[in-house]
Amino acid sequence: MRYVHLLSLSTWFSSFLLCFGLAACGREALRPIQGLNRFLLQSASSRREPALGRRWLASLSNEKGREKIELIDLRSRRPVPLPGLNRPDAQPISVSVSANGERLALVRQRDDQTELLLYRRSLGSVQRLELSAKGIPRQVSLDGPGRILAVQVSRDGRWDVDLIRLSI
Amino acid sequence: MLLGCLALGSCTNTVERAPGGILQRSQQDPALSGNGEMLAVIVDQRGRPTVQLRDIQNGKILPLRHFSRHQPHSSPSLSWNGRYLAVITQRGNRRLMIIEDRLSGRVHPLPLPGGRDPVRLSLAPDARQVALQVADQGHWRVELFDLSQILEPDKPAGLQSSFPSTELGS
Repeated sequence: MRYVHLLSLSTWFSSFLLCFGLAACGREALRPIQGLNRFLLQSASSRREPALGRRWLASLSNEKGREKIELIDLRSRRPVPLPGLNRPDAQPISVSVSANGERLALVRQRDDQTELLLYRRSLGSVQRLELSAKGIPRQVSLDGPGRILAVQVSRDGRWDVDLIRLSI
Repeated sequence: MLLGCLALGSCTNTVERAPGGILQRSQQDPALSGNGEMLAVIVDQRGRPTVQLRDIQNGKILPLRHFSRHQPHSSPSLSWNGRYLAVITQRGNRRLMIIEDRLSGRVHPLPLPGGRDPVRLSLAPDARQVALQVADQGHWRVELFDLSQILEPDKPAGLQSSFPSTELGS
């Protein structure tokens, strides 16, 4: 009986501390999405460069020392196939995804070349995008429909941002 | 036509310099709003990397209320209509994500649990979630956080259904 009293007192005290803490700070707190984070932790030895679409997470995941572009369907918690995109001789640098997960823009290093590419998932096609003035692409950002691409470019010793309106 | 374009590679994409690019010394970390109307970049302001928001159509700089301090800024990310701008900022020795609500003028400083520092971020188009890259025991990790209790959704016009966080959740 005494034990039960002590237990309820301790529960009450913990609740009081929690409420008091939240009220005193008045702070908003980030709430981790536990199940998805567990999946992300277990599915790759490391992961970087996150890019969110409506229900998609594109990132560069590393497994057994090889980095590749991965697109995860957050609803089913499964990676989706990206045929023809990842190559053993290429090192991805940056990735961005359209809101519906159909288009991926990416920068990758292959041999001595840094390539700016657009991947269309439904076609499984990789299209190389050319810059109007010579430069080395570094970072990409697609708009929601995947029609406009912003790309950070190293050019003449400084960083520029080019906008590419994709015609198809 | 499509197959021809794909075979030829670049086809007829239009490339242009981002507004203000010629005048700025350096522009980095581009982030487009979901609707493609706004561009956030990190520019060098008196030696301090600072986020700047521009209207793509007319090149005008759009006002931000809460990003004149706490540099260096990095990894900006915009919601669909550009209502929310999320940026990694510096406060003391800590890196901290700050989200500005451009509609209400409110600011949301959101430190990572566990005293960790975010390295990169990506805001979901509807601003219901954010993905953060963090360092953990010598590895890069990406973690997702629910923002639905903090921010109102910023959906494309006419889109009723959103992807509720509860479907993603634990």
